[in-house]
Amino acid sequence: MNLHSLPEPVNLGTITGNLADPVFLVDNSKNVVWLNRKSEEFFNTDSEDASGKTIMELTGIKKMDALLDEVFEQQKELKTSYEETSVKVKKQDERYFFKIAMNPVFHQDKLWGAVIQLTDVTRFHEMEKIKTDFVSIVSHEFRTPLTSIIVGVEMLKEGMLGDLTPRGNEVLEAIGADCERLSRLIDNLMELSRIESGTIYVESQPTDVIDLVEEAIRPLKFQAEQQGIELITDIPPELPPAVADFNKAVWILANLVGNALRYTDPEGTVTVRVRQRARRLFFSVEDTGCGIPKEQQDKIFRKYVQVSGPGRKGSGGVGLGLAIAKDIVMAHGGEIWVDSEEGKGTTFTFTFPVYQGSESVTLPDTDQEGG
Amino acid sequence: MPNKVLLVEDEKNVILGVRTCLDAVGYQVEVVEDGDDALESVRREHPDLILLDLLLPKVDGFEVLKVLKGDDVTNSIPIIVLTAKAEEEDRQRAMDLGADNYMTKPFKPQELWDLLKHYLPEPN
Repeated sequence: MNLHSLPEPVNLGTITGNLADPVFLVDNSKNVVWLNRKSEEFFNTDSEDASGKTIMELTGIKKMDALLDEVFEQQKELKTSYEETSVKVKKQDERYFFKIAMNPVFHQDKLWGAVIQLTDVTRFHEMEKIKTDFVSIVSHEFRTPLTSIIVGVEMLKEGMLGDLTPRGNEVLEAIGADCERLSRLIDNLMELSRIESGTIYVESQPTDVIDLVEEAIRPLKFQAEQQGIELITDIPPELPPAVADFNKAVWILANLVGNALRYTDPEGTVTVRVRQRARRLFFSVEDTGCGIPKEQQDKIFRKYVQVSGPGRKGSGGVGLGLAIAKDIVMAHGGEIWVDSEEGKGTTFTFTFPVYQGSESVTLPDTDQEGG
Repeated sequence: MPNKVLLVEDEKNVILGVRTCLDAVGYQVEVVEDGDDALESVRREHPDLILLDLLLPKVDGFEVLKVLKGDDVTNSIPIIVLTAKAEEEDRQRAMDLGADNYMTKPFKPQELWDLLKHYLPEPN
């Protein structure tokens, strides 16, 4: 039996009419030449109304224009469709999200048109939104109880509420350290949910490199000293300023140095280095720690991923720091990567643009909608 | 005369913490637990400084800010917002309404003391 030809009572309409996704056929001028029932329903049209209209006119999806251009330029059948793009469609005050898949159609070796399929991913977007909101609410709700705990612990530590036994002080130190950890975690979760909801605020301005590095490592100097790790800065004088959001840049650097300290043994070193190459400033944090196994190096910038393996202490986080760092660096138009050799050490490097006078402080579009 | 600080906060444990923290360095602390009482207390007591939570019963902190900063009699009283709302929009909104400072919970006593020093003479 030939499964590529349809049995008698069935035609193409029977099948496409039952598809849950809108499907269109367009010619090489982007005019709609055929559509299935779902397309008619969703875009409130029929074949008469649709005929003579371009796919952009019919669907209102402007992005389709550029995507089709891309598909047409390929001049050959594509193996993969443009699945990664999702678009927002408004319909009677409701918002829908679609992923677009398109494939070119050829006739006698010439480009004839394309098949376009829209997949409704609205539900997926809603779930993402619920997750982001949930994270935001949870981190928010943690702040209030943490306030009374931290204020109380600090007052006790200062001895303002009477004396404690040495053991009592030790316990209090531990509570204080874990409060810090919780606060940091909450800040990270907040930052992440902000980034995921597409509202990353990058307030870029000319930023002095030495100030930036100093601000980032100042709170960590004591920790390094206690761990017996040498914290070195290597910054040539007279570097030009970077174009960066000062607080966010400090956050990234402090995070990388904090990680380095966590994974480096006593008597090791952690070096913060800044170099200029052309119009970019390279910030690197190099440690002499246990290194990151090759197979894990490309995963570590993903959310909730922590490097595991022998000789690695618990890091006291949940694996968000690098994911956030990457998002922030990219919002600045920079890059971040890792070089590491097991047993020798790890170097994280990220770049920021060099400040070149007032007219060049423009950042790439950080709107993440539709990504 | 010690400086009078009005704490507007509805969480009992936070009240205990902040009150202890301010008592310890010699400020005189008055506490109210909703926005209505805050407005009334300010008019009656004329505090030297207000520590204001944003999420409050009855009248919220933003409204309290708006009323107090919009009134010639009260707009010179420094208001420091102490809140769990960490979003930039909230900070901006509070500052636009005239808040003198904005501190996100959680905070350490030292941070609060340092902040108060900007607005009040140090107590003994």
